[in-house]
Amino acid sequence: MISGRNGSRLRPRARDQHDQTREGSSVHRRFRLGTLCLGLVLLGTAGCSSIKAPVPTDPDALAEYKAANDPYEPLNRKVFNLTMKFDTWALRPVAKAYVWAVPRPVRNSLGNMITTMNEPSVFFNDVGAGKPRRAGDSFVRWCINMTVGVGGLIDVAKMAGFPHHDNDAGLTMANWGISSGPYLFLPMGPSSFRDGIGYGIDQGLSPWDYVPRGYGLVSFNWAYNMMGVVHGRSEHLEDLDALQRDALDPYATIRSAYQQQRNAQAEAIKNDHRATVPDWYQ
Amino acid sequence: MKLLSGRRIVLATLALTCASGLFALPARAADNAKQFIQSFGTQLVAIVNSPIPLPEKKTKVLPLVQKNVDIDGIGRYCLGRYWKIATPEQRQHYLALFHEVLVNAITDKLGEYRGVSFTIGDVIKSGGEDSVNAILMRPQQPPASMQWIVSYDSGQPLVVDVIGEGASLRLTQRNDYSSFIARNGGNVDTLLAALQKQLDRHAQPGN
Repeated sequence: MISGRNGSRLRPRARDQHDQTREGSSVHRRFRLGTLCLGLVLLGTAGCSSIKAPVPTDPDALAEYKAANDPYEPLNRKVFNLTMKFDTWALRPVAKAYVWAVPRPVRNSLGNMITTMNEPSVFFNDVGAGKPRRAGDSFVRWCINMTVGVGGLIDVAKMAGFPHHDNDAGLTMANWGISSGPYLFLPMGPSSFRDGIGYGIDQGLSPWDYVPRGYGLVSFNWAYNMMGVVHGRSEHLEDLDALQRDALDPYATIRSAYQQQRNAQAEAIKNDHRATVPDWYQ
Repeated sequence: MKLLSGRRIVLATLALTCASGLFALPARAADNAKQFIQSFGTQLVAIVNSPIPLPEKKTKVLPLVQKNVDIDGIGRYCLGRYWKIATPEQRQHYLALFHEVLVNAITDKLGEYRGVSFTIGDVIKSGGEDSVNAILMRPQQPPASMQWIVSYDSGQPLVVDVIGEGASLRLTQRNDYSSFIARNGGNVDTLLAALQKQLDRHAQPGN
């Protein structure tokens, strides 16, 4: 969860860090290892024990079961526990070392670069959602930051009045009226049937997956992906520590926060009716 | 001439007065919510920014939180469907523990901030509650937007929820508690024990 692109959305206890983390939130969209892990975990768990939770008969419990939208809870909890183990022993220590070794300004620049590099995917999704103003913003961000911003290291576009906004194929589908489907916990983070499919689509929308062999670009792509995961995790060290310390059932807390935040994000995109022309023109 | 008969004029005036009163009511409530959050926020920020040591900040914040936040209401909400089945003793014990947990959660945050300021935005009515938009500014960090939910159920404005990034604090907490109780055989006592454990851990030196 931590590593996943969605990890950045999980700040139920430190939500005021909002934009700071949002910048690093598009970070791990392309962590293909996650997909591989998912396949393995699914294979591993499909054979043993139950995957689906029994449907409760008590009306109150049934209402709660429906609200949680998590019929595959037993399977999801298994993936969650595995992910948390991996996090405790591998990802979290690496992220802590990264924070210790790399000064804040450098980390911010790397975060800017990761965000900028994901801008094409955001752009295509903005177009898909039929939001020209947002699409224009992400397009301009990409153009300005890749040139004046030295390959995305400096977020010049933000200073010029084009702050980053998040978008992904899951949200685009939400705007098309496609419901989320049951909740899923994937190795790269909390998700749902819709958002999981969206994750796959986002991989396809990212131009970095089409780089030609040679020229060192493939190595760059790998380095970029790995760093994206570590950087993304480093942005949430305190939040996730607090969550694991304070929540009685971290799995349920993350599920609830994720579902609420995704709904709010989809709603925000739907309600964005800003004009395409700039303010000074109106 | 008949149209402007005295009775009609009186009636029309009465209707107009009522209508304007009706229109003015929500506006007044919204203003109240805005003023309430403005005053609560200003007092809170003044303590956060003051150069006094952390323990002193905590003692100063406590009465402010108790006065402006509906802790009992939030506690009841967070217990969800188990509130109905809890015994009066369990309820009382739970609320006492919940008070401490919530106050800890708020005061723990105090040390993290310095040089904080905030601005209040629009007020949106949702049901019987007002949602006040606020933007928190901290030095060297991007502004964070949040919504404060104000309820008038108790006769005076009280904060009943905070929403950040679309997630409601009390709803997330309720799902946490409900899931925990459900996984522990639906026994409210297990929640009380877990909360007590959490408080004990918090009280240990170093926290």
